[in-house]
Amino acid sequence: MEAFFFSIGVIIAGGTLPLMLHRHFTLMKTVGVLSISAGCLIGLTNSLFQLFRPETDAVSFKYLHAFSLSFVIDGLSAFFLVPVFFVSFLAALYSFHYLNTPEKSFRTAASYLFFSLLIASMTLVVTAANIITFMLFWEIMSLSSFFLVVYDYHKIETRKAGYLYFVFSHAGAMLILSAFGLMYGFSGSFGFDGAAILPEWVKIVVFVLAFAGFGSKAGVFPFHVWLPHAHPAAPSHISAVMSGVMIKIGIYGILRMYVALNYHAPLFGEILVIAGMISGILGVVYALAQQDIKRMLAYSSIENMGIILIGLGIGMIGMSSGNPLMAVLGFAGSLLHVLNHSIFKSLLFMGAGIVIKKTGTHSIDALGGLMKKMRITGMTFLIGSLAISGLPPLNGFVGEFFIYLGGFKGVGLDKLSFVLSLMAIISLAVIGGLALACFTKVVGVVFQGEPRSESAVKADEKEPMMLIPMVVLAALCPIIGVFPKAVFLMAIRGVSALNLGYGRIPFSPFLEMTENISQAAAVFLLIVFCMLALRFFLYRQKTITRTGTWGCGFTRPTVKMQYTGSSYARSITDFFKPVTALNEDHPAVQGVFPAKTYYSSHARDIAERYMESVFVHPVLFFFDKLRWIQQGDIHPYIGYILLAIVILLFFV
Amino acid sequence: MIESIILWILAICLSPFYAAVILKVKAFFGGKKGPPLLIHYFTLIKLMQKGSVYSNSTTFIFKMGPIASLSAALMALLFLPIAGRSPVLSFNGDVIFVLYVLGLGRFFTIAAAMDTASPFEGMGAAREAFFPIICEATMFMILILFFQLTGELTFAAYFTGIQTSGLWRVAGAPMLFVVMAFFIILLTENSRVPVDDPATHLELTMIHEVMVLDHSGPDFGLIELGAFIKLLFYSTFVARLICPIHAAHPFVNFVIFCAALSGVYVAIGVTESVMARFRMDRVSHFVLTSFALAFFATVITLEFVK
Repeated sequence: MEAFFFSIGVIIAGGTLPLMLHRHFTLMKTVGVLSISAGCLIGLTNSLFQLFRPETDAVSFKYLHAFSLSFVIDGLSAFFLVPVFFVSFLAALYSFHYLNTPEKSFRTAASYLFFSLLIASMTLVVTAANIITFMLFWEIMSLSSFFLVVYDYHKIETRKAGYLYFVFSHAGAMLILSAFGLMYGFSGSFGFDGAAILPEWVKIVVFVLAFAGFGSKAGVFPFHVWLPHAHPAAPSHISAVMSGVMIKIGIYGILRMYVALNYHAPLFGEILVIAGMISGILGVVYALAQQDIKRMLAYSSIENMGIILIGLGIGMIGMSSGNPLMAVLGFAGSLLHVLNHSIFKSLLFMGAGIVIKKTGTHSIDALGGLMKKMRITGMTFLIGSLAISGLPPLNGFVGEFFIYLGGFKGVGLDKLSFVLSLMAIISLAVIGGLALACFTKVVGVVFQGEPRSESAVKADEKEPMMLIPMVVLAALCPIIGVFPKAVFLMAIRGVSALNLGYGRIPFSPFLEMTENISQAAAVFLLIVFCMLALRFFLYRQKTITRTGTWGCGFTRPTVKMQYTGSSYARSITDFFKPVTALNEDHPAVQGVFPAKTYYSSHARDIAERYMESVFVHPVLFFFDKLRWIQQGDIHPYIGYILLAIVILLFFV
Repeated sequence: MIESIILWILAICLSPFYAAVILKVKAFFGGKKGPPLLIHYFTLIKLMQKGSVYSNSTTFIFKMGPIASLSAALMALLFLPIAGRSPVLSFNGDVIFVLYVLGLGRFFTIAAAMDTASPFEGMGAAREAFFPIICEATMFMILILFFQLTGELTFAAYFTGIQTSGLWRVAGAPMLFVVMAFFIILLTENSRVPVDDPATHLELTMIHEVMVLDHSGPDFGLIELGAFIKLLFYSTFVARLICPIHAAHPFVNFVIFCAALSGVYVAIGVTESVMARFRMDRVSHFVLTSFALAFFATVITLEFVK
């Protein structure tokens, strides 16, 4: 535990020192990055060590004489600490060359402060052992990430995105707080352990409230509205941390509540599978329809949260129907996906960050041909895209594979489990196909073909500190994909901490599955290698000519004629028409000498479209009716205070 | 093991021959003599001897495309029981692995098409990304059905020996739906009429052919070989299902299997001869039919099998 707090101290030091050094820009960044990354490395080593230790560590401090701040590191906490520290470490390195405007020296220093606070609060949330501690650091996490999102506060969209995020994270916190309040009200203890004695109906209410609250952080449909706005607005290393790990803290919250309630109702699994299915499919459909590269990645995070929820749901169904193998496969698969998604999503956000920095545009359709000028970015982005599409032999496949196996175990159970498993499996298959379409679109339009605009022509990549984290992450994707054994053991440690009541989970049946993946991946790589050799042999002493692309007889092709991302996605988004209504703006061509015209299209998110009419207007209407309470005169306010005191004294 | 590997190699070698059967059937319907049955071997040999022309727009991904699609097809074939004999590789969940490996092949084929900056190839790529999504949903629907019937997740459990006839015995009527669904998937995944027309020269109406427009020489040869193997892979499903007979002698067995396979290829040829290809926006409905069939099959079985 000491090592854990020491690492947090070093990280916080890395946040505060830059504030004092902000007059020396490079020195400040060096100190900040070194200190934060050193702290993260210490924390990472410690949490890996903790993960494989049988006993749990606990510590408690007195706070304000009334509460105690207590922390505990069990398998589940340690499992979530690993990606938090690891991705933050690489994001800190990445930020060194990413934040390169000396004019904004003070703002950069402040951003390091909030960055260190974000990392520290995330680690403290996952180790919190009681409600008070959890809520305190949850709030610090939300607030520090809010300040990081509004880094470019002079832009109006950024301020809007920040506001939206602020509202959503606090509405979510309100729901979590009400769930905790119910827990406290019925159990009378601040600890999570007390929740196990709650009456059953309270457990269900608490879980549903907590799910909605944590779901808004995790970006579960329809509480995801903030996510596609906040992630593109934030600087890219922050988006990498937010999308890679922060939204997973929401998943952690759901799991922690599940452990605390220790109640295996079939309802929980049903909620999670259905929510996961909707988030997964709609997330990827909207991702496909996006034209902004970071927005698209944000929607893809929603999709991956859906996959994780499906896995958790399968695990919970396995628990409620008494099928241990299905439960462990579902939970372990989704924990694996948590880890894997944190790797490839932060990689993709970092790649998108370089692209945006070098070309100055977010628009996918304005880019093209970057693979030739940004080889490392292009290669790593390609690997990340393959991994996120869930293709073997990369890591994205591994988690999904176990979730599939868990889902198939549910097919043989009762009718309800059968229906849910069927939905889970089919939606995973559809999500997989759509993700492939989505990422072939991004890779194809952004990195391949010819540049579609001036800005894409001049791109380059020279900053090693931005490239190294991406190379590290990209290397991990195939390594985990081919040798999933180590990370699978980690996931099993995490699952053991869920108190499923199975005692020690045996490794051997699962190890056989990871061995199978390794073996098949090895055979596949062998075949690819043989084919490469065959190709090399076939091309010995052959004439290779280079010329323009065959235009099917058309002799004057221009780069404007290339297929764009929007046209690539159009037929698929049309297929999902009811949820992907397209807003088109196109003044008709009129007269003999028509004026210059334009065409713009924008796919609207169904949740965003109905949020205003279904939710915002009724709430505003209700609070409008209460406006008379606030007249701006001080005397009634004093009266309110007196009244409140009287009520509290006599009636409570 | 040795027998499985020999069958694997044999299947690879036979795949161009069977693809020519389709041409022969189409020529018969057209009242022509048609190309010789060995035409694809001649084409492959010719292509392998040539050099290549590469577009200035392309990168290494363009060269990875043929490798990935051929490797994926070869990999898939390793898990498939050929002629009802046990496959070279098999493990619990290999069906999922194979479907995703084929996805990897598709990813690179699409990426190679996008690499050329050609609007035609982009068009083909968009379609190639779209239709297989529905196919995958159907495949997993069928897997759910098969899992219900056998409790296994391997190709070996579905298509080896007497297993296939076992499927028919347990759930005969739903299996008819499955055969139809498989046939639709076969046509879609392998870009045959009525989804795509492999013979047309109109770039706007093609899917697979237009994506490989810029490939030439040995690269193109590898793509063609990969496509033949993939076609054989899907045809084997249908062939095993329509002819689940399992003879004791391996040789007799192989002959029966080859005959069944010819039947499937002839059926593809007949379909291509008597049908026109659908308008692009109708194709998704056609492919969805397969999903509906597989869905019904699964729901019906739910009541029969306890």
